[in-house]
Amino acid sequence: MRNYIIRRILLIIPILIGISFISFLLINLNPSDPAEVALRVNEIVPTDEAVTAMREELGLDKPFFQRYIIWLGNSLRLDFGNSYVNNKPVSGEILNALPATLYLAAVALIMTLGISMIAGILCAIFEDSIGDKITRGIIFVATAMPNFWVGLLLMWLFAVKLDLFPTSGMRGFTSVVLPATTLSLSYIAIYTRLIRNSMIQNKNENYILYGRIRGLGNWVIIKHILKNSIQSSITALGMSIPKLISGTVIVENIFAWPGIGRLCVSAIFNRDYPIIQAYIVMMATLFVVCNLLVDIFSAFLDPRIRRMT
Amino acid sequence: MKYNKVAAMLLILALSFSIVACNTSTTETNNEAGEEQTQLVYASTKDIRDINPHTYSGEMAAQNMVFESLVINTEDGVEPWLAESWEISEDGKTYTFKLREDVKFTDGEIFDATAAKLNIDAVMNNYERHAWLELVNQIDYVDIVDDFTIDLVLKNPYYPTLSELALTRPFRFISPNCFIDDNTKNGVDGYIGTGPWILTEHRENQYAIFTANESYWGEKAKLKEVKWQVMPDHQTILLALEKGEIHLLFGADGDMIDLDSFKALENQGKYVTIMSQPIASRAILLNSNKEITGDIKVREALQYAVDKESIAEGILNGSETIADTLLSPTVTYCDIDLKKRTYDVDTASKLLDEAGWIIGNDGYRYKDGTKMEMTIYYNSDNSQERTISEYLQDNFKNIGVDLKIFGEEKQAFLDRQKTGDFDLQYSLSWGTPYDPQSYLSSWRIPAHGDYQAQVGLEEKAWLDGRIGKVMIETDEDKRQEMYQEILTYIHDASVYIPLTYSRTKAVHVPSLKGVDFNASQYEIPFEKMYF
Repeated sequence: MRNYIIRRILLIIPILIGISFISFLLINLNPSDPAEVALRVNEIVPTDEAVTAMREELGLDKPFFQRYIIWLGNSLRLDFGNSYVNNKPVSGEILNALPATLYLAAVALIMTLGISMIAGILCAIFEDSIGDKITRGIIFVATAMPNFWVGLLLMWLFAVKLDLFPTSGMRGFTSVVLPATTLSLSYIAIYTRLIRNSMIQNKNENYILYGRIRGLGNWVIIKHILKNSIQSSITALGMSIPKLISGTVIVENIFAWPGIGRLCVSAIFNRDYPIIQAYIVMMATLFVVCNLLVDIFSAFLDPRIRRMT
Repeated sequence: MKYNKVAAMLLILALSFSIVACNTSTTETNNEAGEEQTQLVYASTKDIRDINPHTYSGEMAAQNMVFESLVINTEDGVEPWLAESWEISEDGKTYTFKLREDVKFTDGEIFDATAAKLNIDAVMNNYERHAWLELVNQIDYVDIVDDFTIDLVLKNPYYPTLSELALTRPFRFISPNCFIDDNTKNGVDGYIGTGPWILTEHRENQYAIFTANESYWGEKAKLKEVKWQVMPDHQTILLALEKGEIHLLFGADGDMIDLDSFKALENQGKYVTIMSQPIASRAILLNSNKEITGDIKVREALQYAVDKESIAEGILNGSETIADTLLSPTVTYCDIDLKKRTYDVDTASKLLDEAGWIIGNDGYRYKDGTKMEMTIYYNSDNSQERTISEYLQDNFKNIGVDLKIFGEEKQAFLDRQKTGDFDLQYSLSWGTPYDPQSYLSSWRIPAHGDYQAQVGLEEKAWLDGRIGKVMIETDEDKRQEMYQEILTYIHDASVYIPLTYSRTKAVHVPSLKGVDFNASQYEIPFEKMYF
């Protein structure tokens, strides 16, 4: 087991280097001159003198590989340079915005878990009942609706018409409800279906039949089914966590949530390259690490995986 | 046992969330409880960011709340502000300002000649950043005459000096205590100004609170607080207005509110909607440096091909007036008699025939086997520009011109401006108080679409020289004459198709009073508002 973990961790290093190189390269392939962009975002007319001064200031006069090595070295120390827009350290900007996003994602995760577990179990128990059909219908619609639209509809209904929550901003616990609901809706749909289907599958397994023959109570049987059905969901959940965190972009914009999704969107519009690069690297790392944890966790549960790799 | 652990963890998580929730909600509640409404909530799509008055990263409206200038631009021209009077020397090169003696920065520091010089010097120390503003190139040095008098000495008798000193940036004054190493270009240590508002709280990307300055030297603000609420999405802003969370929307050219929503809110009758005087010009640039549009006959024909009335009425909902000339006659020096070119398909067709473009079998014009096709580029964030482009496409088709429309993201659009790689492109003048002097001055800078579109003109060098000269002409009549020459030339060269004159718009709840506009579309006069 220990060897497996060490091997997997070592494998991460080339992957991360590859990601950092590609993100650096892609951004450098962009036709806009960063020095000029840095001037323009501050509404300064990019005269030739100003552009030259800015190029020097940003270190853009150095050759590509030298810049990449410098950037990579600094990134390892979590120094992603300064934002072109406000000249503040990028790592500080990200750390400022990260808690808001984590808070939002965590609430969305709890909602997803809570609601999809209950809905999934109920749908499986009452398979093909009217309730099951209605729930599945709602799920079908919820998966199909785009995020921003759901967000605005919820805002209109619950904030404006019913006056239950504030429309936007991060102010008190009530303000997280609408964005978290919007964010979790499509996940709830996915997990409800996942739990429902694997429970129905398990229901028809032999061990359930034996259990029934032994005369076990209904709830005990459901508990056994659930325990055996939940594992596939947990694996999927591992990958949903980074998706939740990186998927907040649209929701944060609509609900004026001060998280990293918004930071990234405004960075993209302003061509604030240092922030975009840091964001890409951070998200990629998050995905790689979560993937690793899920793999290790599955290996822990199932010795066959350990032997295979 | 296992389940107990899980339950305990969930409980801890839930508790920690409620703690977070309690923390953030404490600053909120003071809003609606009071019997008298003294806090105004203004929604903006952007955070105020760094409002250092000597740089350009912050929102201008916020900079204007805290920092003040020596003089101000008003409808009736330049008027005294932090300087109570001024004198201009015979040769027009020395401006002597007598400063008010009762002005203090909000940290208690006195605003005197030393503080004024320190600020102007700090701006000059960073002059590359301000190169767009001709005054910065014209200032030679600042001299302290006595405690409350300074001399501003110029290299040439630059006539727009006063109105450029009045701009929202960079010539505004920040407390000397905020300087870092006698400078402001690398950031400042606090935002202490002399203005009617004090920035008391700023949560980045969430909100900023401005509190009224109780010891303000001039007329004090009527409200106690202005909350600058950041809402990046336009729809959210509209819903928040409907819910009553915000009281005011304010902005120019679709910045805060698009025309459709503006009209919809107006029709609802629940809110007050107001518009400023025309402040800037909306126009289409015709690139004189491109094959087809390089022919003046073609450019002239296109002037007649556009049905501006339908654009103003149908697309802009009648909220903007038709522009016959690039700059509105209400702009200083721009009340000039120029040939009006109204929508006339026949004239347009005739001109194109004369230019050798003959209608082919497919209804489009051809010359030596080349089809008459051109492309207009617009900023795809702006839905209004797209609609207008589509309309132009239809207009041009009537005279046998195939207009392709190409929407691109803002930065790409700006890059295209710089390279001049366009046939037609959107253009918006800078608006009062930048029109005409600062706007015309910018025509000489290659990074501008205006320069690129004009560069194919025979007399471009003369034009640039003329613009340079008019800025330092001391005689009022001669100046008027030169502006007339410049604007007549550019009008006859047909580089611009003037469309409409845009206005600043505001929407507010009926209980809010005193909403008005400043001369500059980038400033919001919060200090005059009250409930």
